[in-house]
Amino acid sequence: MFSQGGLSLEQAPPISVVMKFFITASIFGLLLGLYLLANSSGLLTYSTYAYKVTITHFLALGVMASFMLGALFQMLPVIAGVVIKMPTKKSMVVHVLLMVGVFLQLFAFNTSISLLYLFSAIILGSALLHATTVMIKELIKVQDHSSSSKGMLLSLSSFTIAILFGIYLLLTLGGYIKGDSFAQVKEAHYSFALFGWVALLIVSVSFQVVEMFYVTPKYPIMSKYLVTTIAMLLLLKLIALFISLPTVGIDLFLALLFIVYGVITLNRLYKRKRPTSDATVWFWRLGMGLLIISMTITALGTISSIDEGLKMLSYLAFIGFALSIVFAMNYKIVPFLTWFHLSNQGYMEAPMMHDVIHPKKAKIHFYIHVAMLLAWSLYILFNPPMISILASLLVVLSFGWLLYHLIFAVKKYNYTQKHTEKMEW
Amino acid sequence: MQKILLDAREMEHPEPLQISLTHLRTMKNNEYLYMINLRKPIPLLEIVKEKEFFYIAHQDSKEIWHILITKNATYNLEELLDV
Repeated sequence: MFSQGGLSLEQAPPISVVMKFFITASIFGLLLGLYLLANSSGLLTYSTYAYKVTITHFLALGVMASFMLGALFQMLPVIAGVVIKMPTKKSMVVHVLLMVGVFLQLFAFNTSISLLYLFSAIILGSALLHATTVMIKELIKVQDHSSSSKGMLLSLSSFTIAILFGIYLLLTLGGYIKGDSFAQVKEAHYSFALFGWVALLIVSVSFQVVEMFYVTPKYPIMSKYLVTTIAMLLLLKLIALFISLPTVGIDLFLALLFIVYGVITLNRLYKRKRPTSDATVWFWRLGMGLLIISMTITALGTISSIDEGLKMLSYLAFIGFALSIVFAMNYKIVPFLTWFHLSNQGYMEAPMMHDVIHPKKAKIHFYIHVAMLLAWSLYILFNPPMISILASLLVVLSFGWLLYHLIFAVKKYNYTQKHTEKMEW
Repeated sequence: MQKILLDAREMEHPEPLQISLTHLRTMKNNEYLYMINLRKPIPLLEIVKEKEFFYIAHQDSKEIWHILITKNATYNLEELLDV
């Protein structure tokens, strides 16, 4: 089988497309830490509801969606072989509307001003729907889907459903529609967002990157049915919610599937062909461990009643899982892209990956991240007020650390372009 | 004809790309790079095409990729395949 295939370099997005999303995500993470700190110090007096939805959406949209959309603009051509035309222009529209939309939504949650709900539904909805339709439109054209490209398509479709439900919820909260199905839509919204968008995307990407980045044995053949099964279960759950059937069995099955996936991935990482100490592997291991913990508690919750503290630990573990994988990907993607773009432009003195972000810096971030998760776990279990201040400070430190190194990478990139010579070869 | 062998099957990404680009930059007219990899190295092939090298990418029956790259248009790379 001979192939002359491949993508041309003009079709690959410029590094700025990815970096602006990653830097924005880190800034949102930093702001989240400051918001938590202000709340822990008693400086904010918002209701518990406003506090919870603000944190959830800071994380889900400001941090996670920014990271994941930025990564998708870069990874779709490489992993799925699809080309997004005019990536700079399209990503800029998404980026600007997303930033404005997230702030409007957070102000809406904290002030309950009706008009802010309407504006956030329009602006945030436009940003996210624009991003998903641009990507889905290209992914649908793929004729021979891999598990990864199929998973990305299903994940983006789940995100689209979550966004549409989110718009419904915002318009209901703003008093623009009656919202008779508010409870069902709310549950479907977070099921599709968490299981369908975040978890399914990580599962899909891992099928490619775990084997490629860490030279592990291949995932078992049955794994290729995993993404489709998860998507089918989510659709079943949606139907069950709207015809008022119990969804406990579906939740249990979903949780068990994610546990199996986590165990398989940990096993792949354990069987690496050339085991070296690398912070990104530790982020992956931690992420998979936390996914297993979160889903085990979720599974227990479907067969018996569990207390609120345990539920909160499950949410924290899920957040820890998603952030761990995002951080692992950042420390792989950013140094590689910096080196790759400069090297390809002919800069012989392009910094090597270790010079862009040294692995020791990633390791320090890993320890900060673990300390942050431990501090929040202690707060949930024992509720001492001082711990919440420490945990909030660790959130600030975690995202501040990442932000500093992302900015450093951008500076290194610009410096190389300005001060070193190009070589034709 | 001098063969530069790069067995990248147990190398972590992006080590194979970094090493192969180093070889390509200094490649002489009588040399060719023979890379063995578990995956088709799409970013490398993009660069190879852009720099107007000649290459073939062949996947054998064990799903291993054999990538042969040269500057020399007279080389018949298919004859140099070792599968």
